[in-house]
Amino acid sequence: MFDDRSPIYRQIADHIKADVLREALKGDEQVMSTNQYAAFYRINPATAAKAFQQLVDEGVLFKKRGIGMFVSPDAREVLRSRHRESFFADVVDPMVAEAKAIGIPLSDVIGRIQELEGR
Amino acid sequence: MRFPSRLLLANMVFALMLWAGFFVLVVAVTVGIAVFGTLNESVWEKAVQVTRWYALFVGVALVREFLPMYIAHGQTRRQFGAQAAVTVALFAPFLSALMAVGYLLETVLYNLAGRPQALGRAHLYAEPTQVPLVLIEYLVEFLAWIVAGALVGAGFYRWQGGGLLTIPIGVGLVVLAEGAIGTELRLPFLGSLPLRVDLPQSLALTLGTGLGTFLLGLLLVWAVIRDVPLRNRLS
Amino acid sequence: MRIDVEDLVLRYGDVTALDRLTLSLEGGKIYGLLGRNGSGKTSLLSVLAAFRKESAGTVRIDGQPVFENAGLTRRVSLIRDVGETIDIGTVEDALYFAEWLRPNWDAEYARTLLDTFGLTPKAKVKSMSKGQRSAMGVLVGLAGRAPLTMFDESYLGMDPPSRYAFYDALLADYMAHPRTIILSTHLIEEVSSLFEEVVIIDHGRLVVHEETQTLLSRGTAVTGPAEQVDTFTHGLTVLGAKQLGPTKSAMLYGDLDDARRRKAVEAGLELGPIAMQDLFIHLTGEPK
Repeated sequence: MFDDRSPIYRQIADHIKADVLREALKGDEQVMSTNQYAAFYRINPATAAKAFQQLVDEGVLFKKRGIGMFVSPDAREVLRSRHRESFFADVVDPMVAEAKAIGIPLSDVIGRIQELEGR
Repeated sequence: MRFPSRLLLANMVFALMLWAGFFVLVVAVTVGIAVFGTLNESVWEKAVQVTRWYALFVGVALVREFLPMYIAHGQTRRQFGAQAAVTVALFAPFLSALMAVGYLLETVLYNLAGRPQALGRAHLYAEPTQVPLVLIEYLVEFLAWIVAGALVGAGFYRWQGGGLLTIPIGVGLVVLAEGAIGTELRLPFLGSLPLRVDLPQSLALTLGTGLGTFLLGLLLVWAVIRDVPLRNRLS
Repeated sequence: MRIDVEDLVLRYGDVTALDRLTLSLEGGKIYGLLGRNGSGKTSLLSVLAAFRKESAGTVRIDGQPVFENAGLTRRVSLIRDVGETIDIGTVEDALYFAEWLRPNWDAEYARTLLDTFGLTPKAKVKSMSKGQRSAMGVLVGLAGRAPLTMFDESYLGMDPPSRYAFYDALLADYMAHPRTIILSTHLIEEVSSLFEEVVIIDHGRLVVHEETQTLLSRGTAVTGPAEQVDTFTHGLTVLGAKQLGPTKSAMLYGDLDDARRRKAVEAGLELGPIAMQDLFIHLTGEPK
């Protein structure tokens, strides 16, 4: 991720991923159809289909011919491990950069983290 | 070709409603004359002269309203032309039948009141009860007026102001038809100079001229609309 | 329906509205036709719908010429704000003829849409408000279910709730009855998410024909210190730029590869998307 460009289909994909991560969508559960997503977001169904295709490529969804799209049984695990990989680059590094920019000593940040862990 | 049932029916229903209202109005005027004056002439005969202008309007509306509607609904100009021609060919006799019915109802009324139903000007028919002749006269007249309206309507739709040039042609068509039934055309503003052609009177010639005028008019209208573009803006 | 337009010219007297326009649409999609006033949108749609005969060039729909082709034109519908299909007495009268002339007319759907747009069957169309007239036109276009359905600025005068009701109905009906739909509009932000492909014309010529998402990905806004922005954008297609103090924002058009993106980020530049509306404005030039 080098920029914050988020075409609508990526927003949909992110939405579904978030649902999978917080288990609002479970493995082997059917997701809403392309047309339902298109109607909900008021977008062209081809755009919604693109979001689904992206998720199929990433192994989050799989297609059952003639029935629809389903959440892969291991989707949550796949997403969790991928997010773990990028967690430091996506979350921690920018946080450290921000802390430096506004003059918070890193020791304070670490202290806060330890404090939170204790809860 | 598909029969233009809805186009014809819409025009007939509208004409019938107008006719009913018009008839009531004429009866009211007739009663007024009988009460406040002397009634010894047919009032219907004079009143129905207005209906020619209605016929003209029908022709204008065909091109101005229905042609764009047909094309916008994916019909071709050719399909519209054919349907409009059939519509006019059937609508004109319907309208003349309404004229004849008007005369007959008036006859009943005058007979009840014991008044003479005299005619004020020259016609194909000598008596209002000569139904076939009444029908023919108005048929020839309406065919010409409708087709003249369509021609002038098409002219203005296609060329805006340039449509003025189609007016003399329209008038020519009407004069020809009026000549065929032995009457003269009196136009507003031009009342003092009656336009007329004198044709020898024979029923065959009347019908022939009437039909010829109609066909000539159709041909001219087709020449104007056969590739007419729909206007991007009205007015 | 497949549309192939080649070197299409349309003249109104001395005015050339379409100037050798060439365009192919494969059909079965929702297309957005964008262009400024007088760019030739209405002219193009009018020729596609056989409202007008082309002055030169060829126009084919599903491989056939269009003008006065009865078998083809019955499958094509164009709704313009002139109101050809609706200015025929009352709402009921217009539906009476639409039902009779449109081979795929869905009367039940038309009644549903009357409710959606709050139209009364007995109302006289010519005395309705602009917005209601537009809604009436939209209704006739939707319920006609023509395999090629085109709307030319059909939203004119419709208030936002009615417009969104139209977008929703259009999308739902397109998904239920897939067909080729072309929408011309100025309200780009509102409708662009409905388009699968976008066609932009200007001065009677084709400027862009692209998949919507691809077109959007072509546009990039680069923001940062003016000097860095200038260095980065050197040699690239810059559609426009604006400056606020030391900060400059430039709009780039064209694909940016990952290497370049990385370079931008390293130089402390921010990359962002450009809205369809802005792309359109910059692709079609100066204010008039």
